[in-house]
Amino acid sequence: MMKSTEVLTLEAVSKSFPATLRGGEPIQILEGVSLSLNRSTSIAITGRSGSGKSTLLQISAGLLSADSGSIRFEGKEITKLDDEHLSRLRSRSMGFIFQSSLLLDDFTALENVQISAMIAGSSEKEASRKSLAMLELVGMQDRLGHTSDQLSGGERQRVAIARALVNEPSLIFADEPTGSLDERNAALVEDLLFSLVAEREVALMLITHNLAFASRCNTVYQLHNRNVEVRS
Amino acid sequence: MKQTLLHLLVLRKLGYKGSRAAKKRIIFNLILITLVVSALIFAQIFVVSMSRGIADKYALLGNGHLQIHEASLGSLSEKEGVLDVQLVAQSYALIYSPEGNKMVRLKGVEEGYFNNERTSQITLLDGVPKESTTLEQVLLSTTLARELQVGIGDRVALMLVSDDGIRPQFCVVGNLYDSGYQELDANLAFCDYDLIHRLFKGSEETYYELLVAQGSIESLKQDFKAEGYAVTSWDEENFTVATNLNTSRQAVLGVMVAVAMLCGYFISELSRELVEDDKHQIAMLTLLGARHSLIRNVYFNTVMIVTILSILGGTLLGVLLSSNLSPLLSAVADRSIPSLSYYLLEFTVVYPLGDILTIVLVLLLVSVFSVQFSLRRVKRIEPLSCTHFD
Repeated sequence: MMKSTEVLTLEAVSKSFPATLRGGEPIQILEGVSLSLNRSTSIAITGRSGSGKSTLLQISAGLLSADSGSIRFEGKEITKLDDEHLSRLRSRSMGFIFQSSLLLDDFTALENVQISAMIAGSSEKEASRKSLAMLELVGMQDRLGHTSDQLSGGERQRVAIARALVNEPSLIFADEPTGSLDERNAALVEDLLFSLVAEREVALMLITHNLAFASRCNTVYQLHNRNVEVRS
Repeated sequence: MKQTLLHLLVLRKLGYKGSRAAKKRIIFNLILITLVVSALIFAQIFVVSMSRGIADKYALLGNGHLQIHEASLGSLSEKEGVLDVQLVAQSYALIYSPEGNKMVRLKGVEEGYFNNERTSQITLLDGVPKESTTLEQVLLSTTLARELQVGIGDRVALMLVSDDGIRPQFCVVGNLYDSGYQELDANLAFCDYDLIHRLFKGSEETYYELLVAQGSIESLKQDFKAEGYAVTSWDEENFTVATNLNTSRQAVLGVMVAVAMLCGYFISELSRELVEDDKHQIAMLTLLGARHSLIRNVYFNTVMIVTILSILGGTLLGVLLSSNLSPLLSAVADRSIPSLSYYLLEFTVVYPLGDILTIVLVLLLVSVFSVQFSLRRVKRIEPLSCTHFD
């Protein structure tokens, strides 16, 4: 059966946060945001700090609930999914890359990727095979047994990319994936990310300040006045 | 596959190939729980063994397991479970020495009274009287002799009260015994069965003292009652002592169970601490799609493995320590701790399996519930929180 090309659709999504922990007049972060993302396409969300870029990514991934609006992932309304279904969706269809790689400290590079595959339902053998292949693809085959603290920032980010892709997700959410890297490593990670996304026909939602990085996406959105507008 | 993942995560939490800090924490908690459990088991074995030891002293030297208050008996000793039958006469007398006096329970016993069962409960001093004498002999305890400041061969007077007034009966201390329990020794003296009859002229109490197999006391008592005998058991004759021993044993078990419950709560603190320290990892695993039940199982299994190993180790250590109770107590007594004189220094160690099982089960059950309860916090860790560590 052909997979639907539409991966993510947001319709009139709004989100506000209370001004203080005790409540008060809410601060509106997003208001009526609509956008869609198809398989093998990439979008970048740019905007000044505090404009709600990360909030938009988190709502799109079901990590944060929206006040109103519809969020459909592969045709399913994720606002209506319970924790268990959301977990399953995250493990099998979504990949995450953050500014800091967020690897599991006590585990090796191989185990970090393997655990992600096993959570998604792969057997130990299959998880091991897929993880080895992914780590080889990101050039980490010589660092399989190294733990997080034995890897450089760029290496950790490459492991994070391998982990995000190991379950062949439909969509990668990347929040400032090169934000903490030096120029050389940032360029390496950018190239790797775009080549793998293109090669594997995965959709990409990229949050970045870096306009050059953003411009490599099919569509660039600017988050402005609580809503997105197409920049290019 | 979930089992393999669970296995991998639990092993890492237990410190296998994990960080030094994780290993240290697990080992520290393992040792701490083991020590607490061993102390609980040791204390319970000590109390039960001591109670049993004291009860044995009372039963074997004081009154026998059963007393039958009849003038004559049929073939009692042939009854299954009856180990020994002795005719005993007893009364109370004031015993005098040049240095002091003491009211004692004087037991008149026949030659075969100090059989193997009874001699196993006492140490008889092998002294020789200082001079040959025709005076009747009494057997005093070392505690009583110390109080009266007499030794083997010394003269003492028994002050007997009768209708004719008070008259002294001089005796010689034929030998000294030590049962190891001063509370009993301080008031108990032995003499010949016939002497009691001659001295008290019928005002003494005569009865049959029976030693029976452990566990048959109650059934034999009922049998004798059914046959029409006036029978009492040692705990009825020494009601206060028996009640005190029983209450102490139950109270100590209660305290041990309460400590076990506290220990169970402490174990839940370990799970709370693990979860608190691993918030980042838990959020990360949740973000990757791990279900809360999987994460809870990782911490539950980790803590329960530590708990079960500690309980096993603690029980073994407690049993091992208590198997050397006598040398331990003697070492403590050598340091002249006065309160120990009211306890036994030598007794047979009894392993109260029921009590040990109760302590272990309470600890295990409280741990299971409190750990499960404390792991509810796993659900409150949002996957998003791992990004807060950026």
